[in-house]
Order: sequence, then C-alpha cells, then structure tokens
Amino acid sequence: MIELSTSLSSLGDLRDSDLGPYDAVYLGNLFCSRYAGNLLERPAELAEAIRIVRGQGKRARLTTYAAVRTGGLATLRRALAAAAAAGAEAVEVHALGVIALAREEAPGLALHVGGFANVYTDLGAAVLRELGVARIAPAAELTLEEAHAMARAAGVPLELVVHGKVPLGISDTCLLLPHEAAWGVRCPDLCRRDVFLRREEWTLKSVGTGVLGGLDLCLLEHLPDLLAAGHRHFRVETLSETPAYRREVGGVYRAALERAAAGDAALDPDWWATLRRHARVGLANGFAFGRSGMEYVAAATPRPVPLA
Amino acid sequence: MLALLAPAGSPDAIAAALDAGADAVYVGLKGWSRGGARGEVDWAELRAAARRTAAHGAELQVALNTIPPPAERERLLAAVPRLLDLGLRTLIVNDLGILAALRARHPALRLTASIGCGALSAADVAFFRDRGAAAVVLPATLDPAEAAACVAVGGITVEVMCHMVEEYVLLGRCAMPSYVHLKPTALPGGLPDALRQTGSMKRGGVGACFRICQQPWRLEAADGYTAAQRFPARQLSRLAEVPGYLAAGVGVLKLQGRSLPPEALAPLVARYRRAIDAARAGQPVEAAGEPALPVQWTVVGR
Repeated sequence: MIELSTSLSSLGDLRDSDLGPYDAVYLGNLFCSRYAGNLLERPAELAEAIRIVRGQGKRARLTTYAAVRTGGLATLRRALAAAAAAGAEAVEVHALGVIALAREEAPGLALHVGGFANVYTDLGAAVLRELGVARIAPAAELTLEEAHAMARAAGVPLELVVHGKVPLGISDTCLLLPHEAAWGVRCPDLCRRDVFLRREEWTLKSVGTGVLGGLDLCLLEHLPDLLAAGHRHFRVETLSETPAYRREVGGVYRAALERAAAGDAALDPDWWATLRRHARVGLANGFAFGRSGMEYVAAATPRPVPLA
Repeated sequence: MLALLAPAGSPDAIAAALDAGADAVYVGLKGWSRGGARGEVDWAELRAAARRTAAHGAELQVALNTIPPPAERERLLAAVPRLLDLGLRTLIVNDLGILAALRARHPALRLTASIGCGALSAADVAFFRDRGAAAVVLPATLDPAEAAACVAVGGITVEVMCHMVEEYVLLGRCAMPSYVHLKPTALPGGLPDALRQTGSMKRGGVGACFRICQQPWRLEAADGYTAAQRFPARQLSRLAEVPGYLAAGVGVLKLQGRSLPPEALAPLVARYRRAIDAARAGQPVEAAGEPALPVQWTVVGR
C-alpha cells in the first residue's frame, strides 16, 4: 500500500489546502512555537484540524518540535493528549526524549521518528525499532543506497522525502527577527514570507529558526527505483510552502506513484512544468546519490515520455 | 564533585591542560573524531597521553564521534579493545547505534553521549540514560536551572559544555556544509572503500566543514526586501555560572576546543579550575572577562 504524506503548520494552512493527493498529514510546525497558529501550541485547534483531516478520509498525525528544552515538554504533552483524544493516528518525534512522552500521553499513537533525529545507521534504526518505532525518516544526508540498506538491516519501514526543501539545520536563534524594523514585517509574519539566502551559486531558504535547502529536492524520476527497493511511504515536504504548491506538487507525485506502481516509468512533461514552476530556485537531489545536496542526478535510464 | 574536562588536540596541549588543572582530558583519535585532523592524536600519541594523564591522577577520554557507514563501522568497533588495553574507560560517541553497540560489547565501558547527540531536555537525558549512556553533554545555552532539571533525571552524569561557541545551527543538527559541497575523502590508514564524507559534520572527520555559516550571505525576501546576512555565532562562557552549575548537581564542566594551541588552552583551563575551586569553597568566582579566542577555531576548529 503506497502512502503519500505531507505537512502543514496551522488550522489556517489546513483550511486553505486541498489534501486530495495525500493519504496522511503531519500537523504542527516543528521549528518555532511562535509560528502563527502553530497547532502544537493550540490543543483545541489541533483537535479541530485532526477532525477535518479525518473527515477527508486522511490519516492525521502530529509532529513535534525538532529541538525542545525541558520547559517546552509540557506543551508537547498537551498536544499529544489532544491528538490522541481527537483520533490522530501517529506522532512524529525528532527529539528522541519525546518518545517517552508520547508513550505516556498517547500510547495508542504509532511512533514515527523524523529527519531531525539524525538516524544515520541501521544500528540506530534497530534501537528505535526495539522501542516500538514504526517508521523512520532517515537523515537527509544519507544516500538512497544507505537508506535501502538501513531499511533491510533494521527491519523498520522508512519514510522518504521525495520532494521539497531539504532541512539543513535547526536553531535556538531566529535569523529573521533582527530584520523586523528594516523590513517592516513583524513576527510571526516574518517566516511566513519566502526568504532566501544567496551567496554566489549557493541558495538556502530561511524559516527563521530553521535553514532549508534553497533548491527543491526532487526524486520524481527515481520513484520506480524506490518502489523496486521496497519503499512504500513517501512525503512531499510542504511545511514552508503555499497551498497551491501542496496541491499541485502533491498531485504530480500521486499520479507518478500510481503510474510507477503500475510498472510504467514514463514521466509526463506537464509534471516537470509543474515542479519547475513551484521550485523558485531549481531542483536537486544530490544527497540521494552521494553528491552534495545542491546537485541534480538524473535516472540512469532516461524515463520515457508517455505516448499521446 | 564537579570535575573539569578539558580538550586537547596534541601532546603539548594535553600537557598544558593537565598542568593547568584539568581533572580529565578528552582527545580525538585520528580518523574517528568530529572536528578534523587538526585536533586529533595518533595511536602513539594516545599511548603517551594515557601514561601522562595517569601520572597526573587524571582521566583520559577519547572522542569517537563520527558516524561511520557500515563498511567502516567494524574498524571502529575493533579499535575499542585497543583503547581498553591502554587503560581508557570513557568514550564519547555521537550516534545512538554506536552507543548501543558499544554498550552491548563492552558493559564496563563508560559511554558519554556527545553534545552532537542533541540532548536539550530532561526527557532527552533520560532517553540516553536508558540506552546505556553514563554521561550526556548539554550545551552551555542551558542555564543552571535547566541543567538542574536534567540532573534530576538521575542515574546519569550531566556534563555542561560551559565554554563553547554557540553557532546559529545547534550542534549536531547541521547539514549546511554538505548541501553545498561534499567531498569523499580517504580515511587515514583506512580501507580503499572507506571514504569519509568531508563536508558532513556528522560523517566527516578529516577536514573542514567548509565554513558555510561564516560566509557573507544576502537575504532576499519575495517582497523585495534584501539585506546583508551573516549567521550569528558567539563565544559562550559560563564562568560566572560555575557556582550555579555546582549547586545544580552538574557532574562535569567541559570546555570546547580540541584545536586550541597550548598557549590558549592553558589559561582557559586554569581560569575554570580557579572558578570550580572557588565555588566549592563557597568563595566568589572571579569576574568573567574571558580572553577572546581566535575566530579561526571558534566555529569549525573544535
């Protein structure tokens, strides 16, 4: 059973989004408690969001902060309890200590471990499997071959990000706050704007307390290989993107996955046009192939264009 | 008992740290430590260091804090019995899987979850305790009250990296360098197929991280706002908080900087030695006024 998931931060984001292409949604902003409408900080809105997602026949999941101090644990406990009561299906943990909180507050939720947890090896994945973790998003720097090997050796299904900005770092400090006066934009609106950092040919995207790659990770033409390797859980990362991006890019991947699952590797030219239109800087997938994250590696066998 | 754990990246630095009053010294073993070759010692230097620290009544710890891919992992694990033969009992590791593997193979080994493991809360501390870590390192961004909450977990020694550089990205959570440049590099003395991913802060170990965060960037917003942008970094010194950490029950104050030259390391260690001794005696800690350290080591030369 192939699954395509995505992410969003707030009830407003959810109401503006068409989740049609997706099977599951991770709710909450993992970067900052001050993000406008962050569902992690609003249990009642989180419950409402879960009801909306479930009402659309989708699986609702809670994400949690990528870096959380002791003082923030109580907030996560409240979010976990609210998510469990509202019928969420799973919780995604990035700070490993939150696994125990999830067990205590929401024992019925499946445990997923997210990309900021730094799961680099099959040994680490095996430890998490013994703790009852049902799914792992491996560290972004891993190659696909390493991910395949991790899944085989550890026996834990992986969730692979197939499209979206690559998470590169999490911070205690907001990069955007010092710009409030000069920019004339205030928190919490700062990180809702598209902000890129450029230096010569390098591009990053800032979300205030997080740094993402500026290029969009794109594994569209590698989907047949991912399916052949046994992966079934895929994610289009849209936490910092618009509802249009969420709908249209998700639509491309839904169609491409269905076609690949049917044994057809052909890629529709319109799909590329959609992805390029939404990628403000460009496409990349270098980490997946042992290259720098900004490079793009094409499929070894060019994917055909479908017959008209 | 609050101990002072000092860094050292050379035989001269080890001597300087011990002479300045360190209770323990940590070193990187060539090829296996995060931070690069400039701050590592080879096996011969490690043997000499073990003898020297023992003669001082101090402890020598070894950081094995890169995350080797499976092909290299057995080489790392095979090195551990040699470390035990030298009398070493504490290793600093950076990966949950390596921690678990070493715990299973060497029950008597004392394992520290490095600052790169990313522990920030009492819940994280409990997680690493339950996985077999004897100690966990927290960043100096946690004040004594937060450290006390972590100490209250119990059953694990809490260390605080009380003198460090706070970079924009949290330690252990950065993939910026490898995003722009990744260079497979042969492991010193290693197998032909055992390549380090220089540029990866988690899997590197033989060179620089390319200092992405030290570069001048241009911030560009979609609405046309632009500005010069540097990633903030600052040197954090918690000298004035030493009594607070002592009262919190912190077990170890750790200093960052394996690539510090002996002439910079010695006064730093001596200053924290005096602060710990004063705090233990209930006397005031000297005013801060930390000497500035060279920028070159502060961000990438740890």
